[in-house]
Amino acid sequence: MRRRSSLPVTFLVPTLAILLVLSMVPTLYAIVIALQNRELSAPGYSWVWFSNFADLFSDRRFLNAVWVSVKWEIVTVVATMVVAIGLGVLMFEVAGPRLRNFYCLLFIIPVLLPRVSAAFVWKFAYHPLYGIATYPYRLITGGLIFDPLSKPGSALFAVASVDVWQWGLFFAVIVLKLLETLPPQPIEAARLDHAKRWQIHAYVTLPMLKAPLISLMFVKMIESLRSFDLIYVMTRGGPGVATETLDMYAFSQGFIESGKVSYASAMAVLMMIATVITFTMLWKRVQA
Amino acid sequence: MRPGRLIAKAVLALAGFLAVFPLVWTALNALKNNVDIITRVPKVIFTPTLANISYILGRDSVLTGLYNSAVACGAAVLIGIVLGLPAAYAVARYPNRFAGDIQFFVLSLRFLPPVAVAIPLMVIWLQIGLYDTLPALIVTYSLLTISVIMWLAIPAFQGVPKEIEEAAFVDGYGAYSVFWRIALPVAARSLIGAIAFSFVLVWNEFLIALMLSSSNAKTLPIVASELSQQGMNVPWGILNASVVLLSLPPLLFLGVLSGFLNSVFRQKKS
Repeated sequence: MRRRSSLPVTFLVPTLAILLVLSMVPTLYAIVIALQNRELSAPGYSWVWFSNFADLFSDRRFLNAVWVSVKWEIVTVVATMVVAIGLGVLMFEVAGPRLRNFYCLLFIIPVLLPRVSAAFVWKFAYHPLYGIATYPYRLITGGLIFDPLSKPGSALFAVASVDVWQWGLFFAVIVLKLLETLPPQPIEAARLDHAKRWQIHAYVTLPMLKAPLISLMFVKMIESLRSFDLIYVMTRGGPGVATETLDMYAFSQGFIESGKVSYASAMAVLMMIATVITFTMLWKRVQA
Repeated sequence: MRPGRLIAKAVLALAGFLAVFPLVWTALNALKNNVDIITRVPKVIFTPTLANISYILGRDSVLTGLYNSAVACGAAVLIGIVLGLPAAYAVARYPNRFAGDIQFFVLSLRFLPPVAVAIPLMVIWLQIGLYDTLPALIVTYSLLTISVIMWLAIPAFQGVPKEIEEAAFVDGYGAYSVFWRIALPVAARSLIGAIAFSFVLVWNEFLIALMLSSSNAKTLPIVASELSQQGMNVPWGILNASVVLLSLPPLLFLGVLSGFLNSVFRQKKS
């Protein structure tokens, strides 16, 4: 029915050309900058080739940042999926249609907030003296001080809790919608076999949803890379370097502490290579 | 089973409470005088004041931030619509052997770490003389809006029943008028969801705006974060009020976006 038309060309080519330019120019330029020794304060520069990269691997703060980033990914992705599946299944089991809609609306709210807002909301809430989230602790212990954001051991988890607050609740809504799309027969069959509720989910429904759940996890892994706003507002990478992720460290090297743009760019390039390779491989796997 | 159900309901209720209470509390704090905020025992009953809100709305930096955010996000979303929707339609309705690659390319733009984009762009904009201007921000955000709108619009166009479009072809419509008069209106509801999503995404964006602006082009999230950089000396009520102002626009889209989510999954079911 569709005759040969110029539509695909006129609709696709300009958009793809613009996307290519907008993405390739900064990407390639990031590599160029990484091979030079530019600084914000000085206009001149020269080519230093790979010495920025060589320096990175003997930079203990960089290695710490890699470790913090890996920890951040694992903690936020795992916690988000656990919260999402847990709450999604609970809604599916005990909430009627109206209550489900109500919870869905509530659970979408946090993820819509700007990360900066979410970070502020919880920064106030975690304040050791006046925070609402630390109030129960003060009440129970009779006024002892609990300051999660300033202890190296707990700061990362405190910031991660905000990320899970945003994404875990949102994904719970998606898990519920996924459960609702399943055909009822297998669940009925399992029920007739006297399977317990949790067994139905562990052995029937969740395995049936394996593919979309993995895609969901994939999305969260990508979104977890965007942790900068939360960390910047809540801890600035502190206490010490306990929450200093790669983007936070690149930012402070490039803009706050020394203005070493090239050094920061070298870090960004390494991040880019690592994420593009990892996610391309994962994506091909998910699709296969 | 009974106590189990009771516990399950309690857990859900608690989660629902945790989802909104911190935000409600922030909104309440925005209406408090400082003495009512800095208390060891949280105060629920207080005399409300509008001082914080009027202070925020009277500050030039906040108003400039609001203006910059509105212009940068509005323009970027507009560019995203103009370039993203037709491209998505072409991918959805005129499959070719590159369709899979194109979709992957659009998605892979999301893999790029924002720092890796922001650092070189800062250097480029500085060299061209566009650093700290709205056009620079708009162009940078367009990369985001085009790719997100395109990614979400492809399934939306695929959801339009093929028969309707075929019938229009039979009636003598050309390819372009089928897009304009059939596909766009029929897919409109999902498309609005996709557009709203892209708006929320750029409105909330922080890192790129932080790196690409120093004074003139600061967006609202940057202005809000700077208020707090002055330490806890800034009255908390004012900070809370700025958080509320920053959060309101995305929340306006709550209805649209939850409807969008529902329609995505309804499609999957059928």
